[in-house]
Amino acid sequence: MKQKLLYVLVLAAILLSACGGGGGGEGTTLRFGWIGKPDTLNPAYAFLTESYTVFDLVYSTMVTEAADGSYMGMLAKDWSVSNDGLTWTYHLKDGIKWHNGEAFTADQMAWAINAIMKDPDGWAASANYTGGFAEVTAPDDKTVVIVTEYPIANMDYRVSFLYAVYPPDFKGFTTSEDLQNFTNFAAIGTGPFKINTFDKDTGVLLLGAFADYMDGAPKIDGIVFQTFDNTDAMIQALKVGDIDVVNEVPASAFETVKGYEGVTATAINGRYFNELIINSADPNLDPAPTGNPALADPAVRLAIAHSINKQDIVEVVAQGLGTPGDSIVPPTLGGGFWHSPNIQEIPFDIAEANRVLDEAGYALGSDGVRAKDDLRLEFRLQFPSDSAVYPRIADMMAGWFNQAGMKATPEAVDPDALVAATTPAGDYDLVLWGWGPDPDPDFILSVMTTEQFVEGGWSDSGYHNPDYDQMYLDQQQIVDKAERQKVIWTMQEMVFNDRPYIVLYYEKMLQAYRSDRFTGFIESPLGIESAQSLLNVTAVK
Amino acid sequence: MNENWTLFKRNLSDFWKAFRRNRLGLAGAFLVITSILVATFAPLLTPHAPSDIIRDEGGHGLTFAPPSVHGPLGTDDAGHDVWSQLVYGARISLMVGFMAGFIAMFVGSLFGILAGYFGGRIDNLLMRITDILLVIPDLPLMLILVATIRQLDLKISPLTVLIAVIGLLYWTSTARLIRSQVLTIKERQFVARARAIGAGHGHIIRKHILPQIMPLIVANTVLILSTAILVESGLAFLGLGDPTQPSWGTMLNFAFDRSAITNGAWWFYLPPGFAIVWVTLGCVLLGNVLEEMLNPRLTAHHLEGDQNMIAVPAKGAE
Repeated sequence: MKQKLLYVLVLAAILLSACGGGGGGEGTTLRFGWIGKPDTLNPAYAFLTESYTVFDLVYSTMVTEAADGSYMGMLAKDWSVSNDGLTWTYHLKDGIKWHNGEAFTADQMAWAINAIMKDPDGWAASANYTGGFAEVTAPDDKTVVIVTEYPIANMDYRVSFLYAVYPPDFKGFTTSEDLQNFTNFAAIGTGPFKINTFDKDTGVLLLGAFADYMDGAPKIDGIVFQTFDNTDAMIQALKVGDIDVVNEVPASAFETVKGYEGVTATAINGRYFNELIINSADPNLDPAPTGNPALADPAVRLAIAHSINKQDIVEVVAQGLGTPGDSIVPPTLGGGFWHSPNIQEIPFDIAEANRVLDEAGYALGSDGVRAKDDLRLEFRLQFPSDSAVYPRIADMMAGWFNQAGMKATPEAVDPDALVAATTPAGDYDLVLWGWGPDPDPDFILSVMTTEQFVEGGWSDSGYHNPDYDQMYLDQQQIVDKAERQKVIWTMQEMVFNDRPYIVLYYEKMLQAYRSDRFTGFIESPLGIESAQSLLNVTAVK
Repeated sequence: MNENWTLFKRNLSDFWKAFRRNRLGLAGAFLVITSILVATFAPLLTPHAPSDIIRDEGGHGLTFAPPSVHGPLGTDDAGHDVWSQLVYGARISLMVGFMAGFIAMFVGSLFGILAGYFGGRIDNLLMRITDILLVIPDLPLMLILVATIRQLDLKISPLTVLIAVIGLLYWTSTARLIRSQVLTIKERQFVARARAIGAGHGHIIRKHILPQIMPLIVANTVLILSTAILVESGLAFLGLGDPTQPSWGTMLNFAFDRSAITNGAWWFYLPPGFAIVWVTLGCVLLGNVLEEMLNPRLTAHHLEGDQNMIAVPAKGAE
């Protein structure tokens, strides 16, 4: 009997809370739904994107990426570089305050950067950004000077990740490990929003507007971040108005979400792409890679490229929410500045694929698989098992390959096992996978370098091209943007023509918000949740 | 032919006469047999291969098309025909279920017979192993096992891993059941007589014990089948199946991962759900009825007629 009463009470509570959710009337607090939650708010050791979404709102950097892919001042009002490209001078804005009311000074910024340089192990998440920095000083209250050992091409991008952390919060750590374990859940920054509370178990994060923000206070009272276990539940919450923003709408649900009343769904070209990796590892490596040697033949690679209908993949697998891809540098990087326009796409043409293979001497066998001597065009086609997208692509691809006399056997592999099989073992033929490149092309270009094909490295294709490697090193030190662009275009063309990757398509970034409650979101590759966007958001009266 | 086997055959025909009159049993048999037929004749039942993409006149893939646009069951997130996925899915689901079920039956029977017949230390050892497996929660253990085995990169197909893990974990109830039967049978006079005239252990087990418990094993296997199919679907739904081969569980997994619910695509997730219910219900009905009819304790009174232990119900059950 008691048991029954309990059930009734629980049921009533659930019903009540369900009714209460739709009521609104919480002032102008934006309710933000996402899958996942930040595991730490310590920029020294944060690796999840969710953490960086919060940093973007709570912390500031001297410069930051603008919606159009260029860089603009944030803490800095202007900045310049010396003629030799070694000395960078940043002039800070006036009247910048920490969330606790104290004044922000240039030597605090210099301290934050120096902290990373002194303890790169502790600041593992940021250490890459200060590589090559020789000295960082604050000659006066409003000026920060960074002197580098060699010219750094992507300085703006790097500085946009050097957060102005509150020195007293980070001064007390004696070992790198202590610093890494610091969760910083009550972070103090200079950003437009300050942390009110963070419940690390439920992931509920409350941010309040910072009234003294240097560029003027946000027009909303605050933001509540709420973690969901699955996307269907999150989309339902948006539909009924329990949350106002969803920062990741699955492609398969986008059309439906677009139809919801009072909801605006946005689809903009993002940075993420999916690719087919062709084993390009050096056959002389020890232990020897196990890729089908036929894959080293440029004719076979060309035939594979002709046998992939990228447009169809976009339409069927990405529900039309993507663009067929060509280069490893997506067109969104730097607002399109870095993407090579010189790449001639290989058209989908099974007849041409067959012709290329005929000409190269691969004769069709009685079992429908082409072979030349002991080279049989039979490949493993593996993909990480944690995605519902790749099995669909693999299926379609195997069908097209089959028409061209090539046999591909799709196989789902545990992602960790796939990392072990690709880098640096080269124990695969073809793999489907994806990348989310940084805003600066440097990272995605590094994925193709020989030196990254090591345990823990980023290269999974095993592409090894000394010319490419040299150009990669060169572009890192070309401060002149136009010069650097030329090198980077050539590098992309090399990768496209050698085909260690066949880039399949660029995904669109799919987001949605309740336009009957809030307006003013800025749609850009930075996302509608970027600080610039949320600073512009106002409640609908 | 050995006398015991003739007895078994005679019992079988008697049994069929009784079974015919049991409606639940017949319904269960119907459900199971239809699904086996569907799996066997899958290519005849659908014009599409499971990986075919259904396209409109313009050649564009039809994703999430409702049954009104593409019959009979619409298309899924990648434009596949749901009906053909369902029909071909029966093959994988039933194959995994049957193989795992048979492994479980084999291991369980072996453990049960050995433990029951030899008793003593062997019994103790085998039953403690059984106990340990019985107390560990199945699902988490299987999740961990499947995930770990896959991570080892042993080049075993995901389906084989599933079959092995399910088969090697679901034999415990069979082992206990068989053991208890063997314990009673081995005390019977005809066994004692066989032993007295010098029959070896192997002979006694093969000629006297096995025929007696065979019906029990059959009934139990059918019951285990339903569990195995359910578990396969569960694991596949959790993403541990083979996404390149449609099974009912992987269909549900895709439906869940690819927002079928948000899209209102009921034709994508209801059919595999019903299919799972269809087969497992069939197995459970059939298995329960078989068990009821074949397990002497549930039917015949020990003072009643026949000398043999396999009771022949005088009238059909109810």
